[in-house]
Amino acid sequence: MDSEVDGILVAAHELKSPLAVLRQLALSLDGMDASNEHIRSEMVSVSERAIKQVNDLTKIRRLEDGLFEMEPVAVRAVCDDVIKELSYLFRFNQRNLFVKYSNHKRIVTANRELLYSVIYNFLLNAMHYSGEETRSELLVKDDHDFVKIMIRDYGPALPTDVFKEIKRGFVAKPTSIAMRPGSSGLGLYIASKFSRYMHANVGAVRHSDGTSFYVDLPVSKQTTLWEM
Amino acid sequence: MIFVIDDDEIMAECVAKATHKNVRIFSNAIEAMNALSSGENPEMIFLDILLSGPDGFTFLNELMSYNDTMKIPVVVVSSLDFSGKDLRNYGVVGVLNKDEMLPEEIKKYVDEYAGC
Repeated sequence: MDSEVDGILVAAHELKSPLAVLRQLALSLDGMDASNEHIRSEMVSVSERAIKQVNDLTKIRRLEDGLFEMEPVAVRAVCDDVIKELSYLFRFNQRNLFVKYSNHKRIVTANRELLYSVIYNFLLNAMHYSGEETRSELLVKDDHDFVKIMIRDYGPALPTDVFKEIKRGFVAKPTSIAMRPGSSGLGLYIASKFSRYMHANVGAVRHSDGTSFYVDLPVSKQTTLWEM
Repeated sequence: MIFVIDDDEIMAECVAKATHKNVRIFSNAIEAMNALSSGENPEMIFLDILLSGPDGFTFLNELMSYNDTMKIPVVVVSSLDFSGKDLRNYGVVGVLNKDEMLPEEIKKYVDEYAGC
């Protein structure tokens, strides 16, 4: 593993404990009046997102050991769970999320935990880059032998160099890409790593008024999870 | 009396506060074992696993090796992933993930094992 990336993983391990402490401190604040309660909620929410991202980073090392089993996964159920977790954040930041499922093939071959992180990171990225009262979109559709999960934002266009790197199919390092303003590209790096592990294609489409990120997951030969 | 064993002082205080009970905090397993040896008898213990010095499992082994401490209910509080692991043989009645736990979950264990 690249020593630069290795350093990031060590840092991630170190960050875990203080982030968990910060979250507990925020949770233990009582006697907040209504006007301050949302600050407390936001402190908890921010630390939880940071913990999740740190946990995702620490998973990257476990990818090398092949510890994540590939299994039949119901795409819609995973998307629904991510939406449920992020709905508060979208509301809090006055962003709208449009969701459309048009896929007939519902079961893909993936790792549920990693797929959850991919969708979570893309949606968080979309929320970050969408302006107030604008919407982000989560679209799930069939694409031959794949199910395509596409997350579109209406933020600034993706820089050409980043687009090229994604087009090549893999984002090598979070620090190597000058992502859009205010981002290190960490979420995209994580999503890229996890997607590659799942043999899924990850990519991006540039629009004049934003960007779509997508992941194509191979359809499972198993038609229903009830057969398991 | 409840014991909280965690080398992170602030995390230990957060756990202690959530119990709403009389708590003794220890920053390492040796101090906690010494307190038990001197006759202190906690109703339950909240235990971190990655401690400086002897780790949480060493403490659990010690606890299980004495007749008068083996029945003390222990809740493991850790960032490690124990999903799918059965720790009941160590006297562990529950596991809380530090990244996700809520004060209500801590209180729930207290009500169940140190409620009176």
